[in-house]
Amino acid sequence: MTTAVESLPQIEIAQTTRAQLHEIAVQVRDLVKVYRDGTEANREINLDVRRGEVLAIVGPNGAGKTTFLRQITTELRPTAGAIRVFGVDAVAEPERAKRTMGITPQEAGVFERLTVREHFELFARLKHLSKRAARKAAREAIAELELVAETNKRVGALSGGQRRRILIGLALLGGPPLLVLDEPTTGLDPSSRRAVWDVIRRAVSIGATVILSTHYMEEAERLSDRIGVITAGRLIAFGTLDELLARVERSYRVSYRDPINPLSELKIHYCASFAEAQQHIARELLSEYSIERASLEDVYFTLTGEPFDKDEADG
Amino acid sequence: MTRATDIICVFRIQLAGTRREVGPFLLAAFVFPAAMYLFTNAVVRGEVAAEQSRVRFLAGSIVFSLSLTSISWLGYLLLENRFTGRLKLFATLPLAPSSYVFGMLVFAIAQSAVSTATLLLVGRAAGIQMGPNFPLLIVVILLTILCLCGLGVIIAARARSFSQGSLLTDTLGAGLIFLAPIYYAPDMMPRGLRVFAQLLPTTFAARAIQTTLAGGRAVGNELLALSLMAIVTLALSFRLMKWRED
Repeated sequence: MTTAVESLPQIEIAQTTRAQLHEIAVQVRDLVKVYRDGTEANREINLDVRRGEVLAIVGPNGAGKTTFLRQITTELRPTAGAIRVFGVDAVAEPERAKRTMGITPQEAGVFERLTVREHFELFARLKHLSKRAARKAAREAIAELELVAETNKRVGALSGGQRRRILIGLALLGGPPLLVLDEPTTGLDPSSRRAVWDVIRRAVSIGATVILSTHYMEEAERLSDRIGVITAGRLIAFGTLDELLARVERSYRVSYRDPINPLSELKIHYCASFAEAQQHIARELLSEYSIERASLEDVYFTLTGEPFDKDEADG
Repeated sequence: MTRATDIICVFRIQLAGTRREVGPFLLAAFVFPAAMYLFTNAVVRGEVAAEQSRVRFLAGSIVFSLSLTSISWLGYLLLENRFTGRLKLFATLPLAPSSYVFGMLVFAIAQSAVSTATLLLVGRAAGIQMGPNFPLLIVVILLTILCLCGLGVIIAARARSFSQGSLLTDTLGAGLIFLAPIYYAPDMMPRGLRVFAQLLPTTFAARAIQTTLAGGRAVGNELLALSLMAIVTLALSFRLMKWRED
């Protein structure tokens, strides 16, 4: 992966040593976004994204995830705060910051009358690749996204999943050091979703940093190194999955049905330890049950107070 | 160099998209204006269908074609890009918004060149006596396109919805033709409207094209007016077309 990052100037920020800074891909400080109608979409968000890591942003609908990402991608001007992308001030120099990014917006559209190949070649040229490099990048992207059979098909004739893969492929063109993907797999079938995960993993394996928002807890658990939970515009939790799980005091989950009425709804009981879970099973005389460690879904529930809506994520 | 590549790529993306829509383009840019030329000729038959009127009608049809391609058709494409999320795709790139606008302008100019050339051939085939001053004609047409495209971009950038924008570009594209004394003499208009009509870009464009089609050169005032209008509308359109929202 060739990048222009090495040539970008390093910045000096108090509290951050030069060595630490070199490891930071994206630095967000005191980020605030208030829309004209007074809605506070983001409030005092602070985080660092390390080079080469995958950060997943999760949160309920309308929590401010997309607003957060759109400020990083320079599409939205912050009300206050600073964003630096590989040392470049993304607020003051949006075009320069964008040169380091591959972006898949949530609601971007493709050109239905262009072929798959035309899409990749023309957008590679718009990313300032030479003609030859653009053709090569297009071939590679098409192969990587498993769209070889569709190369000369009009995009309008492709399925929704294939179009979504094209959008992700366009973000990958030119090997940008930072990928910002807003709900990259929403609406995809499980097979396409896994194909996109593989593409993201391959990009990370050659050095890319990824920030993605997602509705899928499984996606966040499987893909990310660290997870940020945003709700009501605030970043209320940020860390590795283990660090987040440690915040759940009752981290064992017993799932069972009422032994007297086996057709009743599935019940869930949280316990602080495995032993406590066993005690609960004995006390309730349960014959059919399962004991699981808490998942990101439980963390999400604990932190946001809202159950994770699987239907919404699948929709 | 990079900027030129950006502009060409935007142009090629639009061209590749439209090459499969030749029918609607021909309808907007050629068939409709050519039909207007035939219609106006038919209406004045038996009256003073002098050669001068036929040149005026041809000039009017060229302006009509420019208006439809530069405001209605270009506006439609810009609105389509904006409201189908394609503009977001451009916004993800290290591409200046002005390069996008220029790319679209080049596309409109290419379309207008085709439609104008075709209408001139129709005029020739219809036996209209013309001795066009081509260099001046090209300058007039370019300024007209820039001025009208600016209006198209402004509407597309400010419209709140696709349907609102589409309605505005269609209304303006046709309205600027019928409000200007192009297919009829100025003294046939109500007095209040006459002053307003004299200020329309299509009025200046029709007058200048008519003069240059007849081989004349006295279009200094029209060129000045069209240049000023082009500067104002383009400056405003570049200001309004931006990737970043507040």
